[in-house]
Amino acid sequence: MLSRVANNLFWMDRYMERSYGLLNLIKTNYNSTLDSGDYSSWNKIMFTYLAIRSENEYKNHQDSISTIFFILFDKKNPNTLINMVVKARENARSVQEHISRELWLSVNKFFLHLTEEDVILKYRKSDPITIVNELLQFSHIYYSVADITQERGTAYCFMNLGKYLERVVQSIDFLNLRIISLDDKKEDLYESYFFKNLLISIGGYQLYLKTYKSIYKIENVVKMIAINENFPRSIIYSVNKLNVHIGRLNEFNQIKAGELNFTVGKLKNHLKYSTIESIKQNGLEQFLDDIKFELNKISNSINKTYFNQIL
Amino acid sequence: MNDLLANYEQYPNTWDEMFDDSGKVRTIYSHFGKFLSEAKLDSLNQMKEFSNQFFKNQGVTFTVYHDNKGVERIFPFDIIPRIINSNEWEIIEKGIIQRITALNLFLKDVYHEKFIIKDEVIPASLLINNHCYLRQMMRLEVPKNIYTHISGVDLIRDKNGELFVLEDNLRTPSGVSYMLENREITRRLYPNLMPIHKVQPVDNYPQILYQQLKTLVDKNDPEIVLLTPGLYNSAYYEHTTLARLMGVELVEGSDLVLDNNMVFMKTASGNKKVDIIYRRIDDDFLDPLSFNTDSILGLAGIMEAYRQGNVCIVNAPGTGIADDKAIYSYVPKMINYYLNEKPILKNIETYHLSNSEQKAYVKNNINDMVIKKTDGSGGYGMLMGNKASEDEIDIYFKQIKKNPSNFIAQPILNLSTSPCVIEKKLVPRCIDLRPFAIYGSEKIKVCPGGLSRVAMKKKSLIVNSSQGGGSKDTWVIRKH
Repeated sequence: MLSRVANNLFWMDRYMERSYGLLNLIKTNYNSTLDSGDYSSWNKIMFTYLAIRSENEYKNHQDSISTIFFILFDKKNPNTLINMVVKARENARSVQEHISRELWLSVNKFFLHLTEEDVILKYRKSDPITIVNELLQFSHIYYSVADITQERGTAYCFMNLGKYLERVVQSIDFLNLRIISLDDKKEDLYESYFFKNLLISIGGYQLYLKTYKSIYKIENVVKMIAINENFPRSIIYSVNKLNVHIGRLNEFNQIKAGELNFTVGKLKNHLKYSTIESIKQNGLEQFLDDIKFELNKISNSINKTYFNQIL
Repeated sequence: MNDLLANYEQYPNTWDEMFDDSGKVRTIYSHFGKFLSEAKLDSLNQMKEFSNQFFKNQGVTFTVYHDNKGVERIFPFDIIPRIINSNEWEIIEKGIIQRITALNLFLKDVYHEKFIIKDEVIPASLLINNHCYLRQMMRLEVPKNIYTHISGVDLIRDKNGELFVLEDNLRTPSGVSYMLENREITRRLYPNLMPIHKVQPVDNYPQILYQQLKTLVDKNDPEIVLLTPGLYNSAYYEHTTLARLMGVELVEGSDLVLDNNMVFMKTASGNKKVDIIYRRIDDDFLDPLSFNTDSILGLAGIMEAYRQGNVCIVNAPGTGIADDKAIYSYVPKMINYYLNEKPILKNIETYHLSNSEQKAYVKNNINDMVIKKTDGSGGYGMLMGNKASEDEIDIYFKQIKKNPSNFIAQPILNLSTSPCVIEKKLVPRCIDLRPFAIYGSEKIKVCPGGLSRVAMKKKSLIVNSSQGGGSKDTWVIRKH
């Protein structure tokens, strides 16, 4: 497979994963503003996801609805949903001979839906949750179509590298931005809606309830998101997947990627033998920094090994 | 007969594919006549809507440039197929094979011994002053002596129903993906009508193309790639479709590297040698060392690899000399000269404006003439004598005076029409036909069908997609 094609497959899934994360975040944040009445929670999202540094950049969006429309449809900011789907689709378009026809159709339909002339007009009349749910359907279709139609070859591996690298970055950001500043003494922690929305936004609410019942503790949240191997959005889950797909890629293409294998294997084992106690010992921040450092190495190594890009 | 057929107004002095002069439906269209006579306009419109949506979802689009931004448009499609009977198709097929054979021999000749010039069948000036004649190709041995691997010969039908060749597209003719998609959609639109007609399939075009390309090198499993200028090219959809259906890599110039005069592509597992390049970029952009020095679309040094026989370029560079509009008028002579045969398909009478007698004739009959640049394409830079004002004609002739050998004139032919559903009416529109022929080391294969291009505007003769032309499916009926 061409290096350029491999790179485009990687980014196709990265953008799809990122847009999925963004949609989930919009939904839960909107929900939580309904409960709390606090619109400042959008600032954090604007900062992390859309790289908006100052409030001046979006001062016209002081209510949830217009903020949501900005995040979904602004054409100038490169990190809005529409621009990410445009990029995902552009990548898909250039790798059509490597993805299933059905997968291409699903990305293209998502794109066509967002770029339809009257979509904003139509959406102005509906409720944000309905809008986001409708858009989430496109993501769900994308994932399931990829699952049942894409052959498990080199292309699939590159798509998964993109998907899980993006997902692990999102999970780290989640812990970094939403958990690290919390301490158990903060009052509103005990408001159940806070934890509920927090967990819903990363898709872990049900699993949390099953595992820890209705007892909200930061420790438990960290444990689930960092080192629960069965939670599909946990750090360890994504890293394990990265390890699997790198292994397959090297096997399929007979590549000896010593450095990459070593780095990803090391991170995998580091997570495997981490416990909530060991995380607490060094502090969550240090724990996350270490992972980020290793991920950077992995990412550079992927570029070098497969995409012919020497940085 | 319902209103739909009764309100169909044929163009005067024009052959209609479906109706004869008296307005009766031709035999080959009898099933369609019956279908249309019972059809409701609303349901035809629904079919049209359905096909538009189908093309959109599939991403069957071409890019038009507007305000520095590429906008993707769907290629206008008409739902009523054009039907060709098996006898006529046999003639078309033989005629195209004959033409391509002669043109290929011509290319071999003009880039080597030039017998046809020495025997004064074609004037040398036509080659010497022609920028399509590439000196880089002289004495270069092309694999299996084939230059014109893929060609799309444009055919039109005059008012008497006779077929003529309008031009031979031997560079990188496009449109074949629309031929394939049009068939996909008509299959959905006419689940009952299609089986009755016993239409010859076109779907195996990519397989035939692959098989034919494979014969170009003596290797069991050659690495074939399709070279595209990239995502923003107007025909990108076609490039992806062909690559996908042939199962070959779609590469851009930046994916290729040259090593020891061999071409490699950069893959995730290292460099891989390329044997055959089906390129969809023009000669000019192929190699900055040999042609346009500014181009980054091709690969520097590829011509040397080609010359050494390490890679096969499809179509060969320099085929433009054979589909040049001035050379066109000599094709019947070529067929006679190289094959000692009579041309099966007719040429349109062509006048050379470098010849003063012919120029005078053209000037006197300007109302019936169209003047074209010999290196023009896409329907641009033409003068339609019957539409132009006297001033426009004067200005055009001044242009001709500067470089008369760059212009030819032809009588304006009324292209045949076919019924189309446009703006909720059944109306005639002018069409042409572009069948695709593939030249492998064994023989030339012509795909049974092709692209029927449609001039979507009323009374227009211009079918080019860049100027608002559309297309319809072409059904070639199987022989009983």
